[in-house]
Amino acid sequence: MLDTYREVVTPEGVALHLPAAGPVPRALAWVIDFLIRMAMVFVSGIVFGLLGRGGFGFQAVMVFLVYWFYPVLFEAMWNGRTPGKRALGLRVIANNGAPVGWLAAFSRNLLRVVDMLPFGYATGLVAGLLDPWGRRLGDMVAGTLVVHDARPHEPSPAPVKHALAPSVALRPYEQAALVAFGERGPHLTEARQAELADLAEPLTGARGTAAVTRLYGIANWLLGRR
Amino acid sequence: MKQELFVQRHQPEWNAFEQWLDERGASAREARKSRRGWHGLADADMPARYRRLCQQLALARRRGYSPVVTERLQDLMQRGHGLLYRTPAPRWRRAVEFLVAGFPRLVRAERGCMLASFVLFWLPLLVVFAAIVWTPDLSSSLFEPMQLREFEHMYDPADPARKLGRDSGTDLAMFGHYVWNNVSIGFRTFASGLIAGVGAIVVLITNGIMIGGIAGHLQAVGHGDPFWRFVAGHSAPELTAIVIAGGAGLRLGLSLVAPGQKRRIDSLLEGGRRGALLCVGVLAMLVFAAFVEAFWSSIAWMPAWIKYTVGGVLWTLTAAWLLLGGRDRAHEDASA
Repeated sequence: MLDTYREVVTPEGVALHLPAAGPVPRALAWVIDFLIRMAMVFVSGIVFGLLGRGGFGFQAVMVFLVYWFYPVLFEAMWNGRTPGKRALGLRVIANNGAPVGWLAAFSRNLLRVVDMLPFGYATGLVAGLLDPWGRRLGDMVAGTLVVHDARPHEPSPAPVKHALAPSVALRPYEQAALVAFGERGPHLTEARQAELADLAEPLTGARGTAAVTRLYGIANWLLGRR
Repeated sequence: MKQELFVQRHQPEWNAFEQWLDERGASAREARKSRRGWHGLADADMPARYRRLCQQLALARRRGYSPVVTERLQDLMQRGHGLLYRTPAPRWRRAVEFLVAGFPRLVRAERGCMLASFVLFWLPLLVVFAAIVWTPDLSSSLFEPMQLREFEHMYDPADPARKLGRDSGTDLAMFGHYVWNNVSIGFRTFASGLIAGVGAIVVLITNGIMIGGIAGHLQAVGHGDPFWRFVAGHSAPELTAIVIAGGAGLRLGLSLVAPGQKRRIDSLLEGGRRGALLCVGVLAMLVFAAFVEAFWSSIAWMPAWIKYTVGGVLWTLTAAWLLLGGRDRAHEDASA
């Protein structure tokens, strides 16, 4: 419930990290989609209303399609995203990280009937909170997952030019943490940089600005900048 | 190897891969059209490049390279993975094949649930019908007097100008109404099966009682003729579709209650997949039924014997389709 990453090992034996989305962004996406659907029904109602009684039949078919197939069509044809999900940066994917197929999109949306019980998606909310990856019942049965789209962030070069070899051999995760500090530290305030660098006092043997400079130096060395 | 050197050495490869994804990965059809004008990474090399990328990502993780590098690689890999392992687009040929052969096969494969659903629907229907024909007063305990008057009004044999079973409205309007109403009932019957099957059972029994009650009442008060002429045509696909939707719902409920030797989630996945496939067939049947109901059943001047013959033919065809469809290829998995 606290760690919402789902790790999927692909056929190539590499782990994909899929950040599962929680109930709040999903509910907001649903509200956006709901407004769009209302607008579609409203507009088509005006258009078909001009056709007289026969238009009522088209309108009923339109309501049917918007109610049952709006999310299915968007999820299957638009890479797992309805307009609402796109606005919130969400995406539906299959459990194994592959894009969601027609059948899975169909069944996860059919089963909204159950997730909506007894009112306002209460069942879906409870299921989502109990499930480690925030899936509602429809997601579980269809084998799908709603994830956050990855947001790429650009590296910024460390503000220090020199390279400094670390005094002790570092483990891989320690190296990764230092390199990450080197690449993302410049985005932080000076005080926060110093605060973080203080944590590495055993390594740098310094505190404050001096420690920050040394850590950037070590990061440069680890990155291979000489 | 230091990170910068690693990046420097492989960057062009990643960029070529990314460019390929951006420009050719989106649509296979577009890619086929613009094959000649493309000078980047060859399509045939893409899987090999993808596997190299996976290896590079694993290396980068193991060597503790920064998140900027691993995230970039994971992003590329995820896009490649999505492309290589996407489900095939549905094809018309396969859709027709599914309706003709795969669907009946799937229905027969779930014959236990289908039989249970059949009994749950038809037993109350017939019992209530027989009871009301026997003692007509019973119908007033099932329906409000207002409702009863409405039913009688709809199938009034003394009013020859009216269409059968209709108050007003064009055939087209009624078609839309039947699609929305009946398919929604079918889908809900299936989905509510997830509540341990209880939802599907309730829907089946209530529908059985209601339909049996209306038919029994109209028969008892002497409005049977227009009623039977109206329902003869579309009853076969419509009632059968409701039974199948109920069976699919029972199957789903059973996956939850009695997963057998599978994990419960795997059992539910299987039940959901089959249920969704069955719902595709139910959708087709109910749209067909709505078509018949809107454009054929309501024709009032048609002699009764033609209507009953057509009804009989449709019942026979439905039964033959479900019992015999796809017999010749019995072992093929019905996945659409």
